Amino acid sequence: MKSQQNEKLTLIIKTAMKLLDQFLEKSALVGNENLIMKMEDFQKDFKKENFEYIHLPSFNKSLDIRAGEVGIKRALIEADFAIGETGSVVIDSCNENLRLASCLAEKLDVIFPLSKLVASMHDVAQFLEERTSGAGGYVAFITGASRTADIERVLTVGVHGPKEMTVIILNDL
Amino acid sequence: MTIHTKIDEKLNDKVLYQNLKGFATAYKASKENAYKDLDFEVLRTKVHDLKDRDLSKVMQQFNQFKEKVEKHGCKVFQAKTGDDACRYIADVMKSHDVKYMVKSKSMTSEEIQLNQYLEKEGLSPIETDLGEWILQIANEHPSHMVMPAIHKTRQQVAKIFSDYTGEEVDPENIKAMVEIARRFLREYYFKAGVGMTGANVAVASTGTIGLVTNEGNARLSSTVPPVHIVLVGYEKLCDDFGQALDIVRVLPKSATGQIITSYTTWVKGRTPSHKNEDGIKETHYVFLDNGRLAFLEHPKFKEALKCIRCGSCANICPAYEMVGGHVYGDRYIGSIGLILTALYQGDEAAKDILKMCIGCRACSFNCPSGIDLQSLISDLKLVVGKKYGINPIKKKVFKSVVAKPKTMKSLLSLGANFQFPLTSTHKLNQEKIIKTVPMLPKEMDFRKFPALASKTFSKRFFKEGYDQFSSQRKVFFYPGCAIEYFYPEMGLAMVKLLQKSGIQVDIPKTAACCGIPAIASGDPDNAKTMIFNTLDKLNETAGYEALLVLCPTCGGAIKHEFLDFTKEDPDRYKKASQLGEMVTPVGKFLEDNGIKFKVLGQKNVTYHTPCHDSRSLGYSAEAFLSSVLGKQFIPLTDSNVCCGFGGTYSLDFSSISNGILNKKIENIDATKAEILVTDCPGCVMQINGGLMHQKKAVKVMHLTEFIENHLVVVE
Repeated sequence: MKSQQNEKLTLIIKTAMKLLDQFLEKSALVGNENLIMKMEDFQKDFKKENFEYIHLPSFNKSLDIRAGEVGIKRALIEADFAIGETGSVVIDSCNENLRLASCLAEKLDVIFPLSKLVASMHDVAQFLEERTSGAGGYVAFITGASRTADIERVLTVGVHGPKEMTVIILNDL
Repeated sequence: MTIHTKIDEKLNDKVLYQNLKGFATAYKASKENAYKDLDFEVLRTKVHDLKDRDLSKVMQQFNQFKEKVEKHGCKVFQAKTGDDACRYIADVMKSHDVKYMVKSKSMTSEEIQLNQYLEKEGLSPIETDLGEWILQIANEHPSHMVMPAIHKTRQQVAKIFSDYTGEEVDPENIKAMVEIARRFLREYYFKAGVGMTGANVAVASTGTIGLVTNEGNARLSSTVPPVHIVLVGYEKLCDDFGQALDIVRVLPKSATGQIITSYTTWVKGRTPSHKNEDGIKETHYVFLDNGRLAFLEHPKFKEALKCIRCGSCANICPAYEMVGGHVYGDRYIGSIGLILTALYQGDEAAKDILKMCIGCRACSFNCPSGIDLQSLISDLKLVVGKKYGINPIKKKVFKSVVAKPKTMKSLLSLGANFQFPLTSTHKLNQEKIIKTVPMLPKEMDFRKFPALASKTFSKRFFKEGYDQFSSQRKVFFYPGCAIEYFYPEMGLAMVKLLQKSGIQVDIPKTAACCGIPAIASGDPDNAKTMIFNTLDKLNETAGYEALLVLCPTCGGAIKHEFLDFTKEDPDRYKKASQLGEMVTPVGKFLEDNGIKFKVLGQKNVTYHTPCHDSRSLGYSAEAFLSSVLGKQFIPLTDSNVCCGFGGTYSLDFSSISNGILNKKIENIDATKAEILVTDCPGCVMQINGGLMHQKKAVKVMHLTEFIENHLVVVE
């Protein structure tokens, strides 16, 4: 009985690690910095004063600000999901301040636990359906910094939104 | 300005040439990478099928969408025309006493010329997509659907920015230019009372729109101002998120070769918005008809409404690559641009630009929605050709010569007999060419023309007794005009080869044209006569193993166009269908029959894949040659990209044809091969003509001649 459970667990971890590799490859491709951390290390290293906006409901940490025209330096946001297929994070951004912060921060940090990493975009179809069924909804797939190639096809980041993005993956398995 | 003046202007634009050429190369590589490990055919079939619906289905999706957003207090407006949509948007702005509206990129707003309308009303729409903003302040319109300012250099952008801002702009520093846009546009997001976006998809099950962007400008436009207007064509509707994600999976990959864009944003109606008194966003959905709903019921043109606006039909179009989107298209650009111009703006607006399609079919095979774009263009060419007329000389030639096989035969044999004062032997390859074509306009003088053969293929076939060979195993061979009148040796090489392998070859008693020149020129009546002539002269299929062709364009015509033109004639339709099934390029026939070869000599060989081999008949001799030749085979970069011939296209649009040919020759040069093999007499005429004109010693051969001269059958 116990060995069966172990086998199942090994399989889950194996699949998650394969997905993680896929995610990391795609995320690196768009220039993200990717960090993999243990839960307790993140808690230990976390410094509130580095950020102007924080939204980490799973950690009961938050810092609110309504970003305006001048923008903010750095925001830290917890993602609802991440997608291996594309290297994207999925963030319910209906909250206006969260939305403004994620649009207007110079640097965007996004965090998610490994258990929230799914394989394909279609795995979040149900989530999109739920979160946009009411009066208003706003869900973003974010894959890297704001970018443009409109001048001579030269890739340039930070055209309207964040100029840098860091993804922190918490190993909770 | 006539179309030819516009074309010449663009062909002389060196910046445009370099930008588009560089993009075409880079795009192909990144697209291939983005689709790595995925089955493009499966993905595009999915999108095609989910978009395959009639008017009632679309209205059902619309009503569902409408209900989902209206019940929360959003406004939905159905705009019958572009002006209706513009007026509604202007009214929303005026009702809020708003001067500025920030908008993210929307081709639909280009279609209805929204900015011009609003500006006339004293309102200020601000484009926030960098490329669009550059063009807005330069007072230009996009030349590509996804990369609107692809025709501009950094120096030109610096000048535009410096004129606009009054600041000094470093003409080399793109990063600094992007910073300027960030600074100026940031201010507008906060100044604007209304934000407008388009929608890449509109999900009926919830009333959610999907926005695909890289810059994040659609996020800001839909977040910062208190009012959000969504301008969307009905065709963007889909059932649910499963379908929407099927579209999002292909869109960025086909558009820019990205796996996904930086932002894919799903927005539904009344989100929190502190700038409104009630703290909730005011949202309007403007659904645009402008002809869409009518065409959803059209048996063929409804295909065009499957477009997801990735712009990739321009990215791989050899003619677009020469002239750009200011000529190749109108408000919409690329192959789909030619089509939508006709459908939305009327055939008058499209009649000239439709002719610029060379018919290579690359777009049809590249479209992530599986639209057979080239065939729609071909249909529209016939419509405008009939309505507005075609070149009168062409019409006369088609009517009184090409559509009358006997007249054609006697005229061309007269030509063959009396051309000798004009012909000469080309020094490099000893081929008989026309020395100088009298009164040939300068722009058409980019290749040598082959001389007419002194005896036609059919004449030699019967005179030299090839009709006497009989066997149990039989094939039928349709030579087509090029083999018949210019290159009989290509046909005879094949006949000899097959007879040696014990196969009897039968040919039509009288040669007739397959009709493609008339179809490509937009002359349906003469095309029909030609097709009927040919069809009636081809033997029934019974007893034959294959209908062989050496010209894949003729083969493609029998397979595809013959069916279109015989729809109202059941007997002929049946015959066309049966013959179409049997059409086989000669290389494929040899491979299928396991006829093995080995190479003689040490020469290096490369191969150009004719458009209609790969994309009408589904064959390329590349693998065959590569396996026979081994190390002597040098692959040609962009082997299956058009050579620029396109039949009479190379005369009608000689400068575009020449430009495309030059790129082909550059690639041939790079292989350093001594022989170029291809299996289409049209490609031979074009490439050989160009190489001879440029005095390059590469020998161009049809596959059959190459086999005859450089390979031997292994028993």
